[in-house]
Amino acid sequence: MASSAEQHHGGGHGHGQHAGMWVFPVREEITRDVAGKTFAMPSPYKLALGIAAILTILGVVGFFIRASSDGFGSPGPWGYYAGIFSFVFMVTGAAPLVAAAFRFTKSHWRRPLSRVAELFAMVGIVNIVLFIPLLLAMPPIKNPDVQGSDLEIRRTLWFEVPIGAPYTWDILCFVGLAFCSVMILWLSATPDMAQARATATGFRRSLYGALAGWWFGTKRQWNHQKAGLALLGAFYFMLLIFVQFIFITEFAMSMVPFWKDSVLPPMYTVMSFQTGLSLILIVMFIMRRWGGYENYIGKAPFWSASKILLGLTLLWTYHLFAFFITYWYGRLEVEQNILKYLFTQPYLVVFLGNMLFSFFIPFALLIWNPLRRSDWGPPLAGLVALVGSLLFNLRTFAAAFNTGNHFEFALSHVPAAVWPDIWDICIILGGLGIVALVYLLSAKLFPPMSIWEVKEGTLYQKMDTLMKGEYLVLAKPE
Amino acid sequence: MARRPILGVFDSANSAADAGDGLRRAGIPETDVDFLTDTPYPEGAFGEREEPHRLYIFPFIGALLGLTSGILLTSMTQVAYPMVTGGKPILSIPPMAVVCYEGTMLGAILFTVLGIIFESRLPKLKAGLYDTRITEGYIGVLVNTEETQHGEVETAFGQAGAVDIKRE
Repeated sequence: MASSAEQHHGGGHGHGQHAGMWVFPVREEITRDVAGKTFAMPSPYKLALGIAAILTILGVVGFFIRASSDGFGSPGPWGYYAGIFSFVFMVTGAAPLVAAAFRFTKSHWRRPLSRVAELFAMVGIVNIVLFIPLLLAMPPIKNPDVQGSDLEIRRTLWFEVPIGAPYTWDILCFVGLAFCSVMILWLSATPDMAQARATATGFRRSLYGALAGWWFGTKRQWNHQKAGLALLGAFYFMLLIFVQFIFITEFAMSMVPFWKDSVLPPMYTVMSFQTGLSLILIVMFIMRRWGGYENYIGKAPFWSASKILLGLTLLWTYHLFAFFITYWYGRLEVEQNILKYLFTQPYLVVFLGNMLFSFFIPFALLIWNPLRRSDWGPPLAGLVALVGSLLFNLRTFAAAFNTGNHFEFALSHVPAAVWPDIWDICIILGGLGIVALVYLLSAKLFPPMSIWEVKEGTLYQKMDTLMKGEYLVLAKPE
Repeated sequence: MARRPILGVFDSANSAADAGDGLRRAGIPETDVDFLTDTPYPEGAFGEREEPHRLYIFPFIGALLGLTSGILLTSMTQVAYPMVTGGKPILSIPPMAVVCYEGTMLGAILFTVLGIIFESRLPKLKAGLYDTRITEGYIGVLVNTEETQHGEVETAFGQAGAVDIKRE
């Protein structure tokens, strides 16, 4: 194990192409330093908070004007709202899973990103509120006005419509997911809050006392925390993919007559993993460059995560092709209309943008070794992937919500594209703004760096020499 | 005689491990000794006892309850409102799977959290003996024992090189 005397303060370690790859924070100073950074309010933070607040206000204005002018009687006007909600849910829902997944692998490079990822649990609470208007705008399952060959009951995954379906079960999905992720955040942040209590003042001191006053760091407590995080992490994964399946099926596939596709839910899930990891890399880059965390975040997390990001990018493209080729090869007229509607006719430009940003550009960036080893390359590829994901969600949900008659047996014609109006654009900006706002506030409430995990890393990592080179030596306690 | 806590503060993990050995030699039961750390140390680093947990039982019970609720709810709905859909039997598993899975997951998550709260004996209203230097990497060795044994504990702490000894 590396003693504190052997640790080096700040700076990066590694030579040649690995320069700056690893950092070794001083264990004795981590708690005080991170607490100080958490409680500070630097100007760039205030500026970001102000911009996020303005965007959120724009979104609220757009929402109320949309609600007052169009109401919730028809899903059509809410297509772009559904799109931005889906984007927010897709990206922020997967983020806490990234922390859990990498913790399972016991990799050392993941330590700085754990809390960055877990803090998105707070956005999960907002997701519940944002989801409610979608329930109001969703067309009823039973057709109120059967005409011609229309279906009496809309195609739905609720089949015989059990008690509470769809509203209660839908909202329970999001409540359960938010509850699980917030519990993961609480359990993970408890040791850090308990340790930061000594330097905290005012509201934070009371909050840390209430949430973590019971924590002293006994062996029994560490064991329970470890087991609890493992269990909740596993359940979060199992629930997340289920909720994504429910959401994309209920609010996209069920809305387009005859759209029956088993590839769409996994494609949505893979894209959520891709974009969730992307967002975490972007936040880490900002923290490293401008947040004062360069002594905690080396280049290693970017380098390691970039390979996973490349894999997820390829996997998404594979799913998209599998979806497309099945419909294209089937050549049923009703399926051709769906292909034309979603891909090749009214929304062609958006689809091409989606492909460009979700696959071609990230792929071209991430296959380049020097870029993968940099701290800016993977976040840049991630930013591009996020734009692609936004286009995917806006296209899919704007199209699904504007098919016209949701009770049709099959899509008999290709509807025209519906482009966003000024209030839709406000809603889209507001959706992005509220995520940033909640995250920025959360990062001042909880330490954005997992102090106990970074400290644990100092026990098991040190630089040592072999022949004339300096190398990272890792210990594996389990 | 009342049991009271006494805390030894050590500036290195080796010293804390030595203190653990000293306490064992002094006849202090292992169950009365706790090592307080700012980060999880590997199993057995201080020569401490194993701490088994039963947390996994809770999600298992929760999942069973959730699954049972899901099965009851969906089957009772289908029996109460018999509606043939797509020529499938009234009681068929695929339509029940969605609600059953959701119920299972929610039950497991809820009971895991309840398990954590129960196993950690929360809420704890009384603050224990602690030293803030533990947050800087010092190791605390907390002994909850009869006051008559505090002299032996202090001796063990002193021999191991405690930087401070605190009583309640």
